[in-house]
Amino acid sequence: MLLSTALLVPWVTGVLLVALDGRRRVIAWLGVGSLAATLVLLAVLAAQVFTGGARRVRTGDWPEGVGITLRADALAVAFALLSVLVLLAAAVHEASGGARSRTFPGLVVLLAAGLTGLFVTGDVFSFYVFFELAMTASYALSAYGGKRRQLRAALVFAAVNLLGSFIFLLSVAGVYRVTGTLSMDQVAGRMLDVNPNAALLIATGFFIAFCVKLGLFPFHFWLPTVYAGARPAVAAILSGAVANIGAYGLLRFGAGLFPEQLRHAGIALVVLGAASIVYGGVLAVARGDTAEMLAYSAIGQVGYVLVAVGVGGPVALTTAVLYSVVNALNKALLFLASGLRGTLVAGAFAVGALSVAGVPPAMGFVGKLELFRTGVAAGSAALVVLLVVGSALSLVYLFQVYQRRFWRADPASGGVVSPLPQRLVTAALALLVLAAGLWPEPLIALSGHAVDMLLAVGPG
Amino acid sequence: MVRVIARLLPGPSLMFAAGLIAKGYAEVGDGFAAGVIVALAVALAYVALGAAGAEAALPALRHAPKAAVGGLLLALASGFFPLLLGDPPVTHRPGPGEHVTTIGTLELFTPLLFDLGVFLLVIGVLTVLLHHLARSREEAAR
Repeated sequence: MLLSTALLVPWVTGVLLVALDGRRRVIAWLGVGSLAATLVLLAVLAAQVFTGGARRVRTGDWPEGVGITLRADALAVAFALLSVLVLLAAAVHEASGGARSRTFPGLVVLLAAGLTGLFVTGDVFSFYVFFELAMTASYALSAYGGKRRQLRAALVFAAVNLLGSFIFLLSVAGVYRVTGTLSMDQVAGRMLDVNPNAALLIATGFFIAFCVKLGLFPFHFWLPTVYAGARPAVAAILSGAVANIGAYGLLRFGAGLFPEQLRHAGIALVVLGAASIVYGGVLAVARGDTAEMLAYSAIGQVGYVLVAVGVGGPVALTTAVLYSVVNALNKALLFLASGLRGTLVAGAFAVGALSVAGVPPAMGFVGKLELFRTGVAAGSAALVVLLVVGSALSLVYLFQVYQRRFWRADPASGGVVSPLPQRLVTAALALLVLAAGLWPEPLIALSGHAVDMLLAVGPG
Repeated sequence: MVRVIARLLPGPSLMFAAGLIAKGYAEVGDGFAAGVIVALAVALAYVALGAAGAEAALPALRHAPKAAVGGLLLALASGFFPLLLGDPPVTHRPGPGEHVTTIGTLELFTPLLFDLGVFLLVIGVLTVLLHHLARSREEAAR
């Protein structure tokens, strides 16, 4: 009941808001209100899930395999909460700065509906449907601003991600061909009896599709153009909310549906993740433009998630969840702060930078600590060295940019301070990052709980 | 000749679409296909008459955005209304095995509303797209 309502609220309000003129203040704040309502519903749902276990709804009371199952477990609500929180921050940011297009508030709310839907669905095909709803909204959002630069970013983003969606759809068709079902629980059970080559092919298809979403190393080529070209709020949405699809997909499909294939491909994933970390870090150091630097930094940061997924096992998967949360909040904070000027902003940016580099007391430290634990648990010295190198690189590139932006007087935008509400949003995000760093137990417990549920459902 | 047909075709296409929706539950056909057929007739009107001409000949086309939003809301409502009655979403009324009122082959039950919603949504969205494509060409020609 609550689960369906959490899906219904952003869907209906999003549709209504798209029809209204989003440049009017009232409409923009209505969008914010609808996101806040969704966030509250999801928080209540999360509380229920943590105390009472996963919630399930089968549409129309049809038997499993015919009706679509909606399943809210800890992993799903954690990612849904995170994404809607980032969307809310970006929406407040734009609403207080004055949205520039008719459709912005509606599209953000529809994106929230798509993301919530794909996180809570327990059916491979309806995952694809919600995935397309979310992606269609983000294609339109990436053109937000309407200048030549944004349109170019939107074209690249739409072209590459449509290809990714197509590969995903092919894999969904493959799953149905070999298992005869689309319900995730049944797929997980029947995948064990499938011809290993076919299963590996399908798993690779899903892997490529999610890597394109995340912007991991060999599939990253679209990402710098898009993140640097889009407006800061949109870049925050893409890297803090839409990229969660990739991380969630790797966990849900990798660890939940294809654990066998994941074990075989573990080394390959770790190598790809390591390549992402080094490549993203080195190129970020070489970039002068803040947005471009953050884009390469995003490529490096998602590498950590892939490494953790590749290592496998409860400890590493918990780290992957935790690091996805940390990374999404960091990136949202940094992208939002990068477009602003003023006193609070410099501090907020510094907190984000410290968090990415993994310096206490920011929450990035907790993420890095868990990664070290993963490395030690896996008994791999190379992994620990990689983490140190990656962190050192991120410290270098972030403070290079910090100096350039906030210490040097910039003649181009000298003295113009951004509106206070926008600065307060970034400050609030920065406080959240700090608070989660000082009191990380809830977050760690949440990630651990999510992975326990995920592994318990899968055919361990 | 093409212009005359373009002006007249949307009428019969609506009839055909109604037929598709009515037989959709026993045979091939649904709201989506019905919407695409009407949208094809509308597309012919835009190609033959231009955006201004088509909208002058068929004033209903100006309401396309409302049709799209209304259709989507209708479809969502038909899926989620059971929440109010305490059932899971997409439960339909009358339920499986219960008596359904029929008018000819048309069965009156709530999934019909879903198909009508999809039908309106498809026509609305395609007409809006056609409007923008045709208008930008006319503006360029001016």
